[in-house]
Amino acid sequence: MDFLSLAMDTAKSLGVDYADIRIQKSSTEMIYLRNLSLKNTSLNEIYGYGIRVFKDGAWGFAHNNVFTADAVNSTVKKAYAIAKESGRVKYGDGLVLAHERGYIDSYKTPYCLDPFDVPLSEKVELMMEVNKTMLNYKEIKLAMFMLECRKDEKLFASTLGSRLDIHTIYIEPTFTATAVAEGDSQSRTFSHGGQAKGWEWVKSLNLMDKAEQVAEEAIMKVHAGSLGAEERKTLLLNPNHIALTMHESVGHPTELDRVLGWEADFAGISFATPEKLGNFQYGSKIVNFVANNTLEGGLATAGYDDDGVPNQKWYIIKDGILNEYGNTRATAPLIGLEMSRGCNRATNYFDFPINRIPNLYLEPGKDPLTPQELIADTEDGVYIEGRGSFSIDQHRVNFQFGGDMFWEIKNGKKTRPLKKILYKSNNPEFWNSVDAICDKRFFQTFGVTNCGKGQPGQRGRMTHGGALARFRNIRVGGSQ
Amino acid sequence: MITKQEMQKAAEFIRKNVKANDFSFSVTGSEDLLTRFAQNGITQHITGNKLNVSLGVDFDNKNGQASGNNLDEDSLKYLIKTAESMAKLNQPDPENMPSEGAHKLPDVNNYSQNTADLSVEKIVDDIKICVENAKKKNAKLSGISEKCLDHTMLTTKNGFEGFDNSATFSHSMTMKKEGVETKVSRSVKDHAKLNLPALIDQLNTQFDSLSNPVQIEKGRIPVILRPAAVLNWLRYLIWTFDRRTADEGHTPFTDQIGKKFFGDKFTFRSSLDDPDLNAAKFLNGGVPAENIDWIVNGVLKNMSATKYYAKQKNLKALRPYNVIVEGGDTSETEMMKMVKRGVIINNFWYIRPTDRKTGEWTGLTRDGVLYFEDGKIQKSVTNFRWNEILHDATKRILAMGPSVQQEYYAKVPTLLINDFNFVDVTTF
Repeated sequence: MDFLSLAMDTAKSLGVDYADIRIQKSSTEMIYLRNLSLKNTSLNEIYGYGIRVFKDGAWGFAHNNVFTADAVNSTVKKAYAIAKESGRVKYGDGLVLAHERGYIDSYKTPYCLDPFDVPLSEKVELMMEVNKTMLNYKEIKLAMFMLECRKDEKLFASTLGSRLDIHTIYIEPTFTATAVAEGDSQSRTFSHGGQAKGWEWVKSLNLMDKAEQVAEEAIMKVHAGSLGAEERKTLLLNPNHIALTMHESVGHPTELDRVLGWEADFAGISFATPEKLGNFQYGSKIVNFVANNTLEGGLATAGYDDDGVPNQKWYIIKDGILNEYGNTRATAPLIGLEMSRGCNRATNYFDFPINRIPNLYLEPGKDPLTPQELIADTEDGVYIEGRGSFSIDQHRVNFQFGGDMFWEIKNGKKTRPLKKILYKSNNPEFWNSVDAICDKRFFQTFGVTNCGKGQPGQRGRMTHGGALARFRNIRVGGSQ
Repeated sequence: MITKQEMQKAAEFIRKNVKANDFSFSVTGSEDLLTRFAQNGITQHITGNKLNVSLGVDFDNKNGQASGNNLDEDSLKYLIKTAESMAKLNQPDPENMPSEGAHKLPDVNNYSQNTADLSVEKIVDDIKICVENAKKKNAKLSGISEKCLDHTMLTTKNGFEGFDNSATFSHSMTMKKEGVETKVSRSVKDHAKLNLPALIDQLNTQFDSLSNPVQIEKGRIPVILRPAAVLNWLRYLIWTFDRRTADEGHTPFTDQIGKKFFGDKFTFRSSLDDPDLNAAKFLNGGVPAENIDWIVNGVLKNMSATKYYAKQKNLKALRPYNVIVEGGDTSETEMMKMVKRGVIINNFWYIRPTDRKTGEWTGLTRDGVLYFEDGKIQKSVTNFRWNEILHDATKRILAMGPSVQQEYYAKVPTLLINDFNFVDVTTF
């Protein structure tokens, strides 16, 4: 039975202005190893469809997991009925959808080895070896390894005539060593986040070497000193640290739904309001943020978004100036745009697609510059790697971040490890303080797989990236 | 929506066909109706039934777990095959625990027919009333109304069988006009007990008390934390409230069981006996829930424990399944007179740990901050960032209001806390 056509025909017969159906099967394998105890070895597979109906400027969405003609028809009718109910408390004069056409296309994440074809025993064996390696160090009291593999198979059809067949995949290996000594407990984590790649990527990571490094740095960290009271210093931020910083302070503020106040009751709004487009100095002149949903290996790269809009590449911040947002077919027209940038994504079949951060990265510096040269050029500062504490206000202005590993820099050299470091800054101070970014040879990506947003909460994913960058005159100090 | 008979039929199939030494099988069916609104209009409207079917098996301590969203025989066969194949390929878990046997479960009613009967038309009617109220104030309203019904079953190879039906309704709304934004929210088991006019009144009172905020100096300042803020903070405290992690030296609770680690005035428990609050019938794969004191007059009595760790240390394998913080009888007006000056906090936002070992957390204020001095509210002030050791803050509780229902699972009081550590001010 062609449920795609059936759903669209039924929707048209009801007189909808627009409708789409997304049939989606999502498979998630999770393995969690705590020391040498396997706390979770699971495979979750969910399969169903969600139908969106747009009528008189309002949305209705219904989902189901029963694949019969009656069930599909009844789900379309439910979506239509609640769209009509939505119309009783209309958004303004009613929402308008940005112009789009239909596409018949397919997309598949490029990979060699499907992680779901790799035997569980091989994965568990690898994880056991990593944890054993970390636990070989006397002061490492806790070793944790979490491996997630996810596959999404989607069929999408819309009343615009689209028929899309989209297969995406990602893998996320993360492990942590925690050292306990001197009345303290400090951890160090290996993570590149998730990557839309095959198992060959995991094989290329040399995880045993990384396990030793992580364990040794956790021990170094537990014995390390901290900084005193907060003072203004230079920061050197490693790519797998600034991934989260840019996610929170650039990615979320430039989601157009937040800008419009659609998240006011929950995730918050944005200071980066439309009158700032084209004139607001968000960062220094060398700061360029690129949205790129065509990025190979990117977690938001899927050919099309869940509005059926093709993936695109554009500047969010160009030469330091706020240039554009990430938007959707429903949000783009509200600031006068005719076309969507294709950022509407849902996590599971039963989720309503929402305005998501695209793959977003800081463009590398244009002049040749290595991390060694940047460190050598820094007199007094702190070098930060990895993700730590992070917190930002609901307008996305004021924030405080920690990190996973810290090094003091004195006279152009890393002199000692540090722990319990926090820095505070705000938009636009922070990105305007960037005075150097290493070149493209040192560009690295980091995939976020747990971006919490929406009600009901959805776990979004996108990739960030950058090269080592220097920030001047930022408030840095030890925690209490 | 799935019935008890359908769940039992599936359980029977599993029992007959699983070859593993042990298994746990659970089914949760849910029916959701969710309406989201923003800027005075509905932006999202979702309806549908969901199903989660999960089977965990083990062969000689080798585990595998598979889950899906279908209950037909072919799907159940696939579930068994997947879980058993995974277990066979796995390595033994030295901390594996057998599934629970039969237990007498507490008599808890988490269901409400009033909530189940709630129609989409009624939800939209109520949203319309809320939006009209905001329009009268030339303000914009954003929020959510959600009805959720859950039917759950857990059964095991060793004879455990448990069922639970639950209902919840939640409503929240943020009203914003220029520099003033504030929020109220409530969730309940029984929709009839959510007093919408009272909630709108509370929103209006909060909104009217606020004005364009001015910045004041950061520093250690007395705070009156309203219930939403108290609950928000407690959620994160509970996040690290694990006995094993404490015993292994990773959190501030190491070696603190039985000691006065919190302030005298702080008592926190979970209870099956409060008819307003939803409570678990069973936890941790079939352990019957029971009334439990976590903190009594500042003394740390119990912490969360898994079945494995509970057996090792002779503990109860429980966790906080609802939150009741004992209150007092001090009104907010009286609290304002107990300190020279301070701020009233409606809610917190983005709480995260900054140092897990010392128990220091960071976060911001949200939904409006009021400055008071000499017993009276003086002005609205901009938001603060705080870095605070939260268990230490309980030692600075000066007074408590009555414990009130904030969510379907929580009753908490307003707290007056001295010297809250504000480390930064925000620009709005």
